[in-house]
Amino acid sequence: MRILLLEDDEKLGAWILSGLSEEGHVVDHFTDGKDALLAGMAQDYDILILDRMVPTLDGLAVLKSLRASKDTTPALFLTALAEIDARVEGFEAGGDDYLTKPFAFAELSARVNALGRRRDGGDATPAAPTVLRHGDLSLDLLARRCERQGQVIELMAKEFKLLEYFMRRPGRLVTRTMLLEQVWDMSFDPTTSVVETHISRLRAKIDKPFAEALIRTRRGEGYVFGK
Amino acid sequence: MAGAIFLALEIGETSLERRLAGTLTTLARATRLEDGAADSFSVVIRAPDDLNGLPEPVRRAVRRGGGTVRLEDEFRRFETWRVLVSTARSGAPIMVAVPLDDSEDALELLAGILWTTAICVTALALLIGLATGLLAQRRVARINDTLERLAAGDLAARTGRTRSRDDLDQIARQLDVTAGELERLVGQTRHLSASIAHDLRTPLARLRATLEMLPEGDTRGAALEEAGRLSDIFDTIMRVARIEAAQGTDGFEDVDLNALAAELAEIFGPVVEDAGKSLTVDATHPRTVSADRAMLVQAMANLIQNALAHGGDEVVIMVEGATIGVADTGPGVDPTQYDEILKPMVRLDAARTTEGSGLGLALVRAGADRHGAELVLSGHKPQGFRVLLKFAGL
Repeated sequence: MRILLLEDDEKLGAWILSGLSEEGHVVDHFTDGKDALLAGMAQDYDILILDRMVPTLDGLAVLKSLRASKDTTPALFLTALAEIDARVEGFEAGGDDYLTKPFAFAELSARVNALGRRRDGGDATPAAPTVLRHGDLSLDLLARRCERQGQVIELMAKEFKLLEYFMRRPGRLVTRTMLLEQVWDMSFDPTTSVVETHISRLRAKIDKPFAEALIRTRRGEGYVFGK
Repeated sequence: MAGAIFLALEIGETSLERRLAGTLTTLARATRLEDGAADSFSVVIRAPDDLNGLPEPVRRAVRRGGGTVRLEDEFRRFETWRVLVSTARSGAPIMVAVPLDDSEDALELLAGILWTTAICVTALALLIGLATGLLAQRRVARINDTLERLAAGDLAARTGRTRSRDDLDQIARQLDVTAGELERLVGQTRHLSASIAHDLRTPLARLRATLEMLPEGDTRGAALEEAGRLSDIFDTIMRVARIEAAQGTDGFEDVDLNALAAELAEIFGPVVEDAGKSLTVDATHPRTVSADRAMLVQAMANLIQNALAHGGDEVVIMVEGATIGVADTGPGVDPTQYDEILKPMVRLDAARTTEGSGLGLALVRAGADRHGAELVLSGHKPQGFRVLLKFAGL
């Protein structure tokens, strides 16, 4: 995808640029709001990533101007302002998503991909499978049934949701924050080991009895499902 | 009032009588009886031996030596006459009779005037009082309304100017000045907290970026963990500040405490079980409250975390009416330290060995304040510690 990135912090900008480029996206990086607005008006991007507090023109103003000229490119705000007010402001200006600093690159990547899918015609991707498979593990979303090597595994509701989330993102880094938001619908860290507890229970059921473990921990970052 | 008027009338009547008697005497003394009779329309003056044409009761009164006479038929259009027998200046006896109806009419008129005046004055006083009262009440109501709006978080609320220069107006003006100052300070705090957030989150984000770019390994993982913890603590501080600065009931919704307790048990039950303890829900007459759901979940999560870290083998989510909270069966907390543990960053010595930022209860307190809920710390029977959030209810 072709991505416009407005981020005035050089280090952060360079990190995001290299990360997204590695994933195969083409990124134009701007450190000044005016330049970003001019580029956004002149060219057709697939996604806009806009920092809030930047020189000359705030990311919010950039998006407002673009939306005023009927530009509907999905936009993701990056910001150090986590206040609900700031979030609402972002959505009112026409923003589609919001990511608070500091963030793990995996979170940015997940959001960028989600916005890309939305642009390509929503979540109803062609023939969404009702059975997720990974190696000898299968998860039947309709029958609510999990099997590994032909053995039926009983999963609790949250464990099922957790595994589904993992199986939809094989090989990708999934952070605690992503799990809390997507599986538990919590936009804050409850400080208790809710995530760890459920991961360990899920592991006891789908990994322990078998030779190969499917969920791996990446210390300080999160979890990766599959290889 | 009526008593005073009655008294005035009484006095009026007596003095009228006295003056009448005086007048008659003076009349009698001044009159010469040269013509034998000096009748006029309303005064009859005769010699006592010439009573022709006078009604019989008057004659009798003359023979008695004077008095008040009430006639059955009018005499010269009057019914009541005062008769006096005296001595004229010439030395001859003389009778003088005057009608009293006039005086009574005057008295009645006086009474009428007095009563009317009294009624008018009373009505006027009531009206003025009522108007003043209503006006004052309206101003007090406006002050009250402004205070309520301020309390509800509408810091732009003002009483507005009134023209009077009395105490009420002064209070209103003072209130407006205070509200203005409050609004300015809150605005400043918000701006400051936004700046702090930006100035701290940006380097944290840079740190995270730098660490993620390092080659994979244990050192990188440990550093990322620490960076994560740092942002978590910062997030919590900002959240407490934000909750404390928040206003009004934006983001509030109806929250069924029973459903909330069940959901909390589902989320945290496994965590508590894995720690070898049990999590139960004890709900009686659960009610629905108006609350910021996420904030309430967060407060409860902190309480459960505290109970798990410092309490005994049982953690109980308690719901009673519009009250929700968490109890444990641990060693409890000394009541003299209740105030202390609610302060941010304060950790009792016993808790220093366990992990935590010391922000948990501060966040719970901020959340309770935000909802106007009472935070009640107490012991739990037979032993343990209990923290309850008492909502005002719907």
